[in-house]
Amino acid sequence: MSEPRNPVSQDGPDGTMDHLDEITCLLYAERQLDRARAQAVSAHTQDCAACRTLLRALDRESRLLTRAMLEEDEPLPSRLAEFQERTRKSFGWIWGLVLGLAATGVYALYTNVVEPWQLRLEQAGFGGTSLLSLLVFQGAFWKGWQSVTTLLEVLAMLTLAGFVFALFRRRLRRGSALALVLAGLCAALVLPAPAGAMEFHKSETYQLSRDETVKSDLFITGARARIDGTVDGDVFFFGQSLDISGHIKGDAIVFGQSVRINGQIDGNIRSFANNLTITGTVGKNVLTFNEVVNLDSAGKVGGSLMAFAQSVGVDGRLGRDLLLMDGETTITGTVSGEVQVKGRNMSIAPSAEVGGPIRYEGDNPASVASGAKLASPVEYTKREHKSQYMEGHYYLWRVIWTAAFVLFGLVLFLLLPKFSEETVRAGERFGAPVGLGVLVFFAVPIAAIIACITVVGIPLGVLTFALWILGLFSAEIVVGAVLGNWILGRAADTWGLIGRMAMGFALVRIVYTPLEHLHIIGFLVALGIWMWGMGAISLALYNRFSPKVSLGAVGPLPSASLPPYTTVGGTQPA
Amino acid sequence: MSVPGMTQTTEAVARARAGDADAWGELYRDFAPAIFRFCRRALPTREDAEDATMEIFMKLRDKLSQYDETRSFTAWLYRVAANHCWDILRRRKIRQDKETDDVENVPLEHPDPNQLDKLIEQKTSEEVRQALHKLGARARMALVLRYYSDMSYDEIADELGVRRAFVGVVLLRARHELRQALEGKSALAAGGTS
Repeated sequence: MSEPRNPVSQDGPDGTMDHLDEITCLLYAERQLDRARAQAVSAHTQDCAACRTLLRALDRESRLLTRAMLEEDEPLPSRLAEFQERTRKSFGWIWGLVLGLAATGVYALYTNVVEPWQLRLEQAGFGGTSLLSLLVFQGAFWKGWQSVTTLLEVLAMLTLAGFVFALFRRRLRRGSALALVLAGLCAALVLPAPAGAMEFHKSETYQLSRDETVKSDLFITGARARIDGTVDGDVFFFGQSLDISGHIKGDAIVFGQSVRINGQIDGNIRSFANNLTITGTVGKNVLTFNEVVNLDSAGKVGGSLMAFAQSVGVDGRLGRDLLLMDGETTITGTVSGEVQVKGRNMSIAPSAEVGGPIRYEGDNPASVASGAKLASPVEYTKREHKSQYMEGHYYLWRVIWTAAFVLFGLVLFLLLPKFSEETVRAGERFGAPVGLGVLVFFAVPIAAIIACITVVGIPLGVLTFALWILGLFSAEIVVGAVLGNWILGRAADTWGLIGRMAMGFALVRIVYTPLEHLHIIGFLVALGIWMWGMGAISLALYNRFSPKVSLGAVGPLPSASLPPYTTVGGTQPA
Repeated sequence: MSVPGMTQTTEAVARARAGDADAWGELYRDFAPAIFRFCRRALPTREDAEDATMEIFMKLRDKLSQYDETRSFTAWLYRVAANHCWDILRRRKIRQDKETDDVENVPLEHPDPNQLDKLIEQKTSEEVRQALHKLGARARMALVLRYYSDMSYDEIADELGVRRAFVGVVLLRARHELRQALEGKSALAAGGTS
C-alpha cells in the first residue's frame, strides 16, 4: 500500500484544497481523535464545505444505525418470555408417569422373562444362584479371580479415560486428537492380551498337529482350522470350519459355519455356527445358537445342552438336562436329566432313554416310540399362534418399551446435554443427516467387520460395532426430539428438550406401530428413522470434532491502512 | 432499549447471587428483550437469536458470581452476550480471509458527501436492519457492538480480537459494506470521489 497521506487539510501544490480522509472524519465524529488533531479537523471543516457535509452525513449515518439497532421491531418470542419454568412444571407429571411405567417394565421384565429363564436354566443344570452368576461365574468366560482384577483394571482405565476426555473436552477439537485417544484406548486394550498368555493365529488354514501342545489359550481367525494336538487353555475360533480331534483342556468359543468335535473338550462349548456336530466328548455344558445341532451316537456331553436351533438331534449321551428352543427335536440317545423343549415337532425313538421329566410345548404332539425308556410321560402343551397385534399385552408392552426408551433418552440427554442439543439441531436439517446416515448405517458395520479380521483391530472393531448399536438405539430418540422441537418450537433448556423428545418419541411410536403390520413399509419407515437419527448423531460428532478456524489467530491488521494523524490505538507523543 | 433503574438492578443482582429464584426471574424479565434484540442483530437468523438468548442467560447463572458490582451490569451483560454470539459465529467458520484482507483495501478518500447524505435520507431503519443481515459476521458484529451496545473502541477491540488501532478501520469497512448492501455496488461504497 502506498504511503498514507496527511488527512488534515493541506493546500495542494496547485493551490487546490485536499480533503479529509473518511476514516479521519469518522474518528472525529466518534470523538476518537486527540485534542490537537480534533482541533485541526475542526479548523479544516470551517473552510471546507465538502468535509463538513461528510462529517454531518457520517453523524447522521451513526444515528440511523443506532436507531435501526435499538428499535423494538420484534416482540420477545413467547418461548423466551416463559423460559424454562414452564417446561419444567408442565412435564413434571409426565416424568412421573414415564418413571412409573419404566419401573413397571423392569419389574415385568424380571418376573416374566428373567426369573422364568433363570429357573429353567437352573433346571437345565446350569446352576448358579442368579442369572448374573450363571453368565459370569459359571460361563465359559469365567477365568478366575485374576480376570476380575483385570476387568476392574480395564474399567478403571476406561473411567480414567472418560475423566481425561471430559477434562480436555474443549481442547479435543481436532479429529487427530480424538484419533489419538481412541488409538491409546485400543492399544491399552490390546496390550494386556499377549501378557495374558494367548497364542494368536491368523491364516487361511491352521492346523495343530497331534504331537503339538499349546500351553496357553489359542485364538484362531481364518477359513479352516483343525486341532489334532493339545491346548492347555481355551480355544477361540472365528472362521468357516473348525475340526477338533485333539484335546482342549479349557473351553471352546466358536463363531463359524461348521464345527465338528471329534476329540475331547474338558470345559464348555459356546457356539454360534450353522452346524455343530459332536462325536467326541464335552466335559461340561454346551450352549449353542445354530441351525443344526447333532450329538452323534458316539458323542458325550457331561453337563447340559442348551440350544437355540432349527433342528436338534440327540443320538449320544447327555449327562444332565436338555433345554431346547427349536423347530425339530429328535431324541434317540440318552438324556440323564430333564428335557424341556419349545418347538414345532418332537420325536422320541425306541432307543431313547430320558431320566427326568419331559416338558414339551409345540405345534404337534410328541411322537414317542413304544420302546423308549422314559422316567415319566411327556407333558405336552399345544402352542398357540395368535397375531400379536390382537393381544392386549402387546400394546401394554409397546407402552412399557416406549417408557423405557424415553428413560434411556433422558439419561443420554442429561449425561450429554450439549451434544444432545447439537445432535437434535443437526437432525433438523434432514437432508444432510439422512445422506450421512445412509453411509454410516451401511459402512460402519462393514468397517467394523474388516477391522475384526486383523487381531489387533478386534478391539477397535468391537468398539465401533458397539457404538453403532448404541447409535441405532439412540436414533429413534433423536428423531423424536427433532419432531418434538418442530411441534413445540425449540426448547429453552435440557429439560425442555427432554420433554420434547418424550413427546416426539411417543408420536413416532404411535405412528409407527400400525405401520409395522405392513411389513415392507414398516421396515422402510424404521430404516428411514434409523438413518435419520444416526446421521444426525454422526453430523453432530463431525461438527464437534472437525477443525475450527480460530479467530484469535487473526494476524495484525496492516498498519499502513491507517492515517497517521489519528490517536487510534492510544495517544501519540506530541 | 428500556432497562430498569440501576439501584433496582443492583438489588436484583445481589439477590440472584444469593440464590433468590425470583430475583433471577426479575433480571430475566428486565433484560431478556434487550439481549434478544442484541442477538437478533448480531446473528443471522431469528432461531439463532432465540437459542443464543437462552444460552446467554443459562451462562449468566454460572457467571453471575464473577460480576463486579462496582461496574455497570448492563455493560457486563452485553460483554457476556457479545462473547457468546461471537463464539457462535466463530464456530461457524466465518471466512477469515475475506474478513481481514479487505481491510487493507478500505479507501481513505471520502465519498461524495451529498450522495451519502441522500442515501441516508432515503433509507429507513427497517431497510438498514435488513441490510445488516447481508454483512459479513465481523462487520455486523462491529456495528452491533458500537451502535447497539455502545461499547468503546477498547472493548470492541477486545471482543473482536483486533488491535485497538484498527477498530475505526473495521467500523468504516462495515459501513461501506452496509452502504453496498443498501444500494448495491455504488461509487459511495467504493470510496466515491476524492
